[in-house]
Amino acid sequence: MTKFLPALSVLFAVIATAVPWGLPADATFILPLVVVMMVFCWRTIPGAALPPAGAVGLGLLADLMSGGPLGYWALMCLIGATVGGRAGSLRESSDFALHWLIWSALVSVLAGFGWLLASAYYFRWIDWWPIAFGALTSIVLFPVVLHGLLWVRHGRLGPERNAIFRGGS
Amino acid sequence: MRERGSPLFRRHRPSWRAPVELLSFGLYFLCAVLLVLSRIGHGAIADARDGLVDLTAPLLEVASIPAIEARRAAERVQLYAAAFDEVDRLKKENENLKQWEWQTKLLERKVAHLRSLLNAVEEPGLVFATGRVIADARGPFVRSALINLGRKDGVHIGYAVINGDGLVGRTVDAGESFARVLLLNDLNSRIPVLVGPAGVRGLASGDNSAELQLDFLPDDAKPYPGDEVYTSGSDGVLPRGLRVGVVTGTPGAFKVRPFAELNSLDAVSVLFFDTPALQRADPQVAPGPVALSAPPTEKAESATTASTSLPIAAMMEHVGAAGALPSVGGQAQAER
Repeated sequence: MTKFLPALSVLFAVIATAVPWGLPADATFILPLVVVMMVFCWRTIPGAALPPAGAVGLGLLADLMSGGPLGYWALMCLIGATVGGRAGSLRESSDFALHWLIWSALVSVLAGFGWLLASAYYFRWIDWWPIAFGALTSIVLFPVVLHGLLWVRHGRLGPERNAIFRGGS
Repeated sequence: MRERGSPLFRRHRPSWRAPVELLSFGLYFLCAVLLVLSRIGHGAIADARDGLVDLTAPLLEVASIPAIEARRAAERVQLYAAAFDEVDRLKKENENLKQWEWQTKLLERKVAHLRSLLNAVEEPGLVFATGRVIADARGPFVRSALINLGRKDGVHIGYAVINGDGLVGRTVDAGESFARVLLLNDLNSRIPVLVGPAGVRGLASGDNSAELQLDFLPDDAKPYPGDEVYTSGSDGVLPRGLRVGVVTGTPGAFKVRPFAELNSLDAVSVLFFDTPALQRADPQVAPGPVALSAPPTEKAESATTASTSLPIAAMMEHVGAAGALPSVGGQAQAER
């Protein structure tokens, strides 16, 4: 069961993105970016297994549920998984701030790339504000999501939390 | 001692011969291919999507229940917080509506008299089914909603979808039990409309924002902020006279604010309005001459509430009250 925990938690988040929460139009980009952030975080948490193929599968499910073009969120999740896999695990670096910085850089690039891709897809410039707002919010939410995932993995934050946040706090 | 170099570049140098890298490359390629196929609207992708949506929709329907209940609870709390003001407002509104009711009855009688003098043909009633929104679309691409009505309920692609406030959008995908509704403010939404009391023709286009752009107005048209906007029916798909919204903005940059609150949809009704144009959009619509608003065969046999013709106002009340109910059938007179 623990083996599938990362995929299950991201699946739960993917379903949550499609549920009608009644969020304003400007906030529609936040939840899908949280899914990408969860993929990134799981790839950095030591011992957790979320292969890129699994990330693509979950991204495709997000595409399917959102009614958008197939492959868009799959691509975003795949990029998140690739960068997360190369960012080094949290235990190795014990540097929370560095991972936060990496995520900030990644989500900025993803937002720009996503906006260009969406514009190219529709042959017109897409409104950039919801994407930028979503990216900024995801940067702010990074510690909360990471805390949450660590809690999901261990049922408590414990010593791993101390190791991870020693460099950041 | 802890190594401080950037972990991004600390790991092994990537080798394209490694199976993992090949797999990653394959996955990137797969995403790109899917995007292209999706863009060109490949039939296989559409069919696979419809099938998978039918599979995942029951899961979404269950998952949406807590979200909908939470939203209702929040709305209830807001209502309680402003209960006294709300009662005062409703009292005033009720007084106004009583006057309007009296005027409307007079006008109805006058219209009926004039119609009988002109020997005018009765307009066809509109059959509808009411369902619930079970999923929202998120992201830069689409503003759509998934509803728990599908082909087995008689829903086809291209049908207008309304709620108690006005037009919400139209169906663009229809599975066996679920359908996807393209909302008015989606980038791909184009609704031919009539603006104001003069009935100036225009096109309300979505741009993924909260308001619609009002394009293709005649040069001499002078709409005013506050003018009501209705569907014109000139696309041959949507019925004429459905309420869309009100004009906002300034001359040269007019917009339409939809009556329907598109961010928090709950119960919606699908109008069964079959036109020849719909046969191009949905091959499963029966070809040949059909009634504009013929009820679906199975539904007509089983429906118990489809025997009377309701005015649209009654239908709107019905829609508003059907929030937590499964889909129901009915018949409504299109507002002109």
